[in-house]
Parts: sequence; structure tokens; C-alpha cells
Amino acid sequence: MSTVMAVSPFLLLVAAGLAIMLLDAFVHERAELAFVTAVSLFGAAALAGAGAIFGVHGPLPSALTSYLAIDRFSFFFQSVICLGGAMTALLAGGYLPEHRLDRGELYVLILFSSVGAMVLASAANLITLFIGIETMALGVYAMAGFRRTSPRALEGAIKYFLLGSFAAAVLLFGSAMLYGATGSLDFAGITESIRSGRADVVMTAIGLPLLLIGLVFEVSAVPFHQWTPDVYEGSVTPATTYMSIAVKTAAFAILVRVLAVSFGDSVSASVSTGWPAVIVALSILTMLYGNFTAIVQSNVKRMLAYSSIAHAGYVLVGVAAISRVGELAVSATLYYLLAYTFSNVLAFGSLIWAGSRGKEAVSYDDIAGLGRRHPGVGLAFSVGVLSLLGFPPTAGFFGKYYVFNAAVQAGGGFVYLAVLGVLASAVGAYYYLKVIVYLYMREPEEDAPVAVPMRSGYVVAALLIAAFGVIEFGIFPGHYLEVALSAAHQLLG
Amino acid sequence: MSIEIGLCLALSTLLFGIGAGGFLLRRNMLIQLMAIEVMLNATNVALVSINRLHPGDHAGQVFAFFVIAIAAAEAAVGLAIVLGFFRVLRTVETDQADQLKH
Repeated sequence: MSTVMAVSPFLLLVAAGLAIMLLDAFVHERAELAFVTAVSLFGAAALAGAGAIFGVHGPLPSALTSYLAIDRFSFFFQSVICLGGAMTALLAGGYLPEHRLDRGELYVLILFSSVGAMVLASAANLITLFIGIETMALGVYAMAGFRRTSPRALEGAIKYFLLGSFAAAVLLFGSAMLYGATGSLDFAGITESIRSGRADVVMTAIGLPLLLIGLVFEVSAVPFHQWTPDVYEGSVTPATTYMSIAVKTAAFAILVRVLAVSFGDSVSASVSTGWPAVIVALSILTMLYGNFTAIVQSNVKRMLAYSSIAHAGYVLVGVAAISRVGELAVSATLYYLLAYTFSNVLAFGSLIWAGSRGKEAVSYDDIAGLGRRHPGVGLAFSVGVLSLLGFPPTAGFFGKYYVFNAAVQAGGGFVYLAVLGVLASAVGAYYYLKVIVYLYMREPEEDAPVAVPMRSGYVVAALLIAAFGVIEFGIFPGHYLEVALSAAHQLLG
Repeated sequence: MSIEIGLCLALSTLLFGIGAGGFLLRRNMLIQLMAIEVMLNATNVALVSINRLHPGDHAGQVFAFFVIAIAAAEAAVGLAIVLGFFRVLRTVETDQADQLKH
């Protein structure tokens, strides 16, 4: 495999991003840009997907591999990020013209943020980690403030920006401490130094938690979640979709890589005194807080924000189990994030579809009776929330099954964690099924303004792809789990 | 004349603490933005001084250059968002950013 092929997904997206900035000046219909963006992201996803399935052969120059990890694990995540980005671009192609926000920047931001997210997910060096997280985040901050005349959007953007930059600065200081402790910036050197016990214990003990704070901020794990509901609610819905999938996926990728590889030694990964104890605590808090707070929401978008916090908690169950059952837990985490990406696009996409100019669907009342008036919207929304709930045979069911199974296999206290996870998802049934109840069993109030679904081929295309994924991963989970397993094998091998 | 590494790291930690304190205590977005810059530059002091323990390579110094570049990009995006906020709400106090419910 040549160097160019190894980084082809990045090259394709950067070229597309630059081209779209130019094209923006010439096209009449901005929605055409959505098509170009989506095609290039699907292309990059296919390139990365091929890398994940067929693996990496032949030597690569160390100038590349000491900064970017070119392995099945990176390719898997690159593919998931690109698929999420592509579906977001299609949703934006319908949403932006409908709500008179038809500007081309959002597509460029999606492309460049995806490149940042992919760099983060493939980082093999603390420098690339920081560059990746900032490239991703700067694009997402701008996306959050996309509706620049809306006080709510700007409020969300400023909250996200200030807290995100603070978290990034903390992450950077942690990186510097790890550099001081181990004497190297690349993960291979850090791993070597930690395993051989040469690393300075005090500086590691300061550096690793600070690095973790920066990463769990991005996945919005409790107690670093306060920004999430406000930013998700204030942003334009396609941007919200993007934040809830690509940003989380990339942050989880690097979290797994750092913890499983660099800090996979028996001392750091000791269940009682190492990082697993911290991850378990975060996971419990996140699952409980996310689910119980989602129940009391009257706004569907906010409910989905809390649901995304709860899902971060389920993924953390898988991350914690890595300390005991490495490959099984890593592959479960990979599969979960793939399933979650498609389910969340389906849920947020249906919410986009349900509204039209002048009346966006936001509250439960807005979607009352929609399932009977517009069966398509109702069906898409139902499948989306059922998959988020983990109802068989959807992708979400197998995601939860694999993650909780990994925790059970890990044994000991992890079994209780899995039980808690199952109970927390049962709580989730309340608010997910509430959506379906409103869709099919409620009628809108007499003189309340009724949300009318928009007409857009782009949104329908995005939802069809997402629905196909949710069903496909749910009926044939084995194929995808196999790819995830080989990625996990190469990561830990 | 060489300054001890420990002193450099103490300075870096002190600056980082000042930045973090400023960020958490002040309510003016522009001051908070400056506090973040102080935190990033405090880290640069640490990176450059740690690099002196490893004279064989320049990894830490290179990292510091990247941090400077990224801090500039971050300030550009941040100021744009603050400006947008000021245009609509006529304030740069974070206390006024409370329309979205908790």
C-alpha cells in the first residue's frame, strides 16, 4: 500500500472542501453542493471501508506512521465518520433551503470537520491528536452558530466554544505532562515508556486524567455534559446531528486507542486503581443522568440530546470492559458507534423531515398525530427511536447486546455494570416510546399550529440510507462485527 | 547559564492556573478568551522546557509551534462568534447567555 492510498480518504475530502468553496460562487442551487459533499464523503467512506475490510499491506514510511496510525481500526472509524458526515450533508441539503439558510459554508465545514475527526480518530501522536481535535471542533463551533441572527444559536455556539476551548487547553496541558513523563510525543514511544516502567509516575498521574477530561468532554459524558443540551437545541438540526455522531465517534476512537494501547499495561489498567475505575464511574453517572433527565423533557430535540448523553454512557461500558476482555470489548464499541451513527441520523433526520418553513417540529405536541397524517415520517421516526431504544432486530439492539455482553464476559463488578446498563435502557423506553405514542395515538390541539413535513429528495435519500443501515446492521450484524473484530485484533495485536 | 527544569514547570503550572482561574471566575467572554490563550501559552512553556531534557529531537518545540498556529485559528473563530453574539444581544457577558433552559 502506497502512502497516497493510505491517506486517500483525507486527500479526497480536503480536495472536495477546497472545490466546494470555489463552486459556492458559481452554482445557482446551493443544494447541489450538498450532493457533491455527500458523494465525496461516501467516496471517502468507501475508500476507508475497503481499508478496514482488506487491511493494510506493505510497509509505510515512518514519517507517516509516527503521526497517523494507518490500521484497520483507523479505517473503520474513518468510514463511520464519513458515512455520518455524508448523511448529515444530505439532511442539510433539504433543511437549509427550506429554512432560508441557503449558504454553502455548512458543507465546507462538514468536510473539514470530518477531516479533523478522522485525524483525531487515527492519531498516533499527541501533536496529531491536538491538531485533529481542534480542526474538528473549530468547524463544529462555526456550525453551531450557523443561524447567525438567532440569539439561541449564538448562545449555544458561545457556550460550546468557550467550554470546548477550555477542555482543549486542559487536554493540551495533559499532553505536555505525558510528554514530560515519558519523553516522547508519539504513542509508540509513550506505550514503550509506560510498559517498561520508565515513565515518571507523578507526571503520568497528572497528565492522563487531564487528557481524559478533554476527551470525555467531547463525548459529553457526565459531569462534562452541561453544554450538550443547550448547544444541541440552539444549533440548526443538521449541525446537531453531526455533533451527536461524528464528534462523539472520533473522540471515542482516540479514547479507546489511548487507553487500550498506551495505557493497557497491568498497572494503569488495574480495575481497582487504574483508569477502568474512572471510566466505570463516568459510565454509571452518564447512563443514569442521561436517561432520567431525558424523561422530563418536553422538547424532542432536547430529549434526543439527553439520549445522546445516555448513549455515551453505554459506549463507556464497553470502554471500561477493555481492561478485561480487550478485543471483544473494542469490537463491541466499534459496532455500537456504527449502529448509533445510523440510528441517530434516522431520529434527527425524521425530526428535520417533520418540519417545514416557518414551523420546525421541536416539541412532542408538534409531532402529534403525524404518523397517521404522513405515514413516511412516522415510520422513519419510529424505526429511528426503536433502534436508539435497542429494539430487535434493529442495529441498536445488537449494539447494546454486544457492549453489555462484553461487560458480562469481563466478569466481576462489570456484570453489575451491564445490569445497570440494561435497567437504564429500560428507563429509556419511556421517552423513546413516548415519541411513537405521540406520532400515532395523539391528535394536535384544536387551533395549535401544525407542523407540515417538508418535501425534499435529499432528506428522504438520507433517511432511506440511514434506515437501510439500521435494518441491515440489525439483520446481518455478524459481517460488521467481524470487520470490527479484525480492527480490534490489529489494534491490540 | 541554565535555569532548572523544575522552575520552568512550576512557572508553566502557575500560568496555567492563572488562566484556568481567569476562565472560571470572569464572566466577560473576551477576558475568558484571553484566559484560554494564557492556558495554551502556559502549556507551550512546559513543552519547550521539557524538550531540553531530550536534546536529541525537537518534538516539544515543534508541538509548541503547532499550538501557536492553532491558538490563532481558535481566536479567529472565537472572536467571530463573540462578535455575532454582540451584534444580536448587545453584550459580551456570559451571564446574559441564558435563553436556553438548563
